[in-house]
Amino acid sequence: MRKLINVTINGVEYELGVKPNLTLLDLLRYEVGLTGTKKGCETGECGACTVILDGKPVTSCLVLAVQANGKKILTIEGLEKDGNLHPIQQAFVDKGAIQCGFCTSGMILSAKHLLEQNPSPSEAEIRKSISGNLCRCTGYQKIVQAIISVPGRTEK
Amino acid sequence: MKRFAHLNARTLDEAVLYLRRYGGRAKIIAGGTDVLGRMKDEIVPTYPEALINIKTIPGLDFIEEREGSLKIGALTKLEDIARHPVIKAKFSALAEAARRTASPHIREMGTIAGNICQDIRCWYYRAPNNRFPCLRKGGGRCYAIEGDNRYHSIFGASVDGGCLAVHPSDIAPALIALDAKIRTSERKIKAEHFFEVGVCKTNVLEEDEIVTEIEISQPPVGSKSAFIKFAARETIDFPVVNCAATIVGSEGTVQAARICLNAVYLKPYRVTSAEQAIIGKTISDNSVEDAGIEAVRQAKPLARNTYMVQIARTLVKRAVLACG
Repeated sequence: MRKLINVTINGVEYELGVKPNLTLLDLLRYEVGLTGTKKGCETGECGACTVILDGKPVTSCLVLAVQANGKKILTIEGLEKDGNLHPIQQAFVDKGAIQCGFCTSGMILSAKHLLEQNPSPSEAEIRKSISGNLCRCTGYQKIVQAIISVPGRTEK
Repeated sequence: MKRFAHLNARTLDEAVLYLRRYGGRAKIIAGGTDVLGRMKDEIVPTYPEALINIKTIPGLDFIEEREGSLKIGALTKLEDIARHPVIKAKFSALAEAARRTASPHIREMGTIAGNICQDIRCWYYRAPNNRFPCLRKGGGRCYAIEGDNRYHSIFGASVDGGCLAVHPSDIAPALIALDAKIRTSERKIKAEHFFEVGVCKTNVLEEDEIVTEIEISQPPVGSKSAFIKFAARETIDFPVVNCAATIVGSEGTVQAARICLNAVYLKPYRVTSAEQAIIGKTISDNSVEDAGIEAVRQAKPLARNTYMVQIARTLVKRAVLACG
């Protein structure tokens, strides 16, 4: 039986009928078509599916779509404005912090959450904030440098 | 995941009613970080027909001090516990245990009650599609006895003398060391009596019973608590061994102690012999050495986990020293 939910994804309101066993990750990728959110381990260990749910970074593979009812979701597609990359996205490009790209959207969303909470984090705090995101290319150093280099580190 | 029904409970009574109606064929969901993993891998012999969402019940997400106790609602997120100034200052073992659990994302999702109710992580038990019908699933044997038991019990087995899985919680030993009480929809249980091993069972909860609150009395004057975890990675990792301790001291002498190891036995393992070894003494390199030795005196390691005995001994020492 499908359940009707209302969600706001990247500022756009959706009314969707979802099955109870659908995860938020699969809803985003296969029902809404936002494939920037990646499907990795599906057990909450790799962080590739990170989205911001009501202001908190979560692994969308472990959230049921029905439980996102009434909530606001931000995915990587919601960051660019008027065709311009978000400063964190630009920093990742400028610093070469993207290799295969699979972890990138999760890394950027975790970094965004950190910089909103703490506009001038130390390197240790940056490393801790992305500790739930695995990069199997092991490109952590450039990812950390990219987050350090974000101009003004944030727009609140 | 296979099909299931999803029900939003609006009150505790409604959630209990749903559980009774499904008679063991429904599971509670809050953070979902443990139960969804189990359902995705289909490791449960009887697949739940329904998930009862308790996040829709108001008033279960709080941290407050009243009536001389710290009260934490069942739905409180681990990240909120890890960051809470009062918990950090007065109940540091719990704050540190929460901080060392899983990853930042999982801590924003996972709840304190979910953490103590989580299922075991034994890789035979958790192998997808019930590949190993082990004792904990009502099957015939424990596959860890002859298999790879590097993360299994060092204090022997249970469940018909067989299962060697360990309890994976970081929060559980901290609650036991702090002598917490767990309030449910039915009763109040001391944390150290909450854990029980059975087929598909890690605690004493009845089928229609729900954890509602954790209660910890104000620590006595002169007491300190600490939590130490050893894991292969700094983050997103279950403990190889962890240890929590509370020490009450007066003029440099230990008056009372509660020390609990976890991930070394089927349930959190309170080491009363180590507590006795430290009571009446001052905390020093020598006295904690004795506590460490006493803690593992009964150890019966398996073919591949002798190393855990050394780690357990060292963590007991370090946890007590951290309370000095």
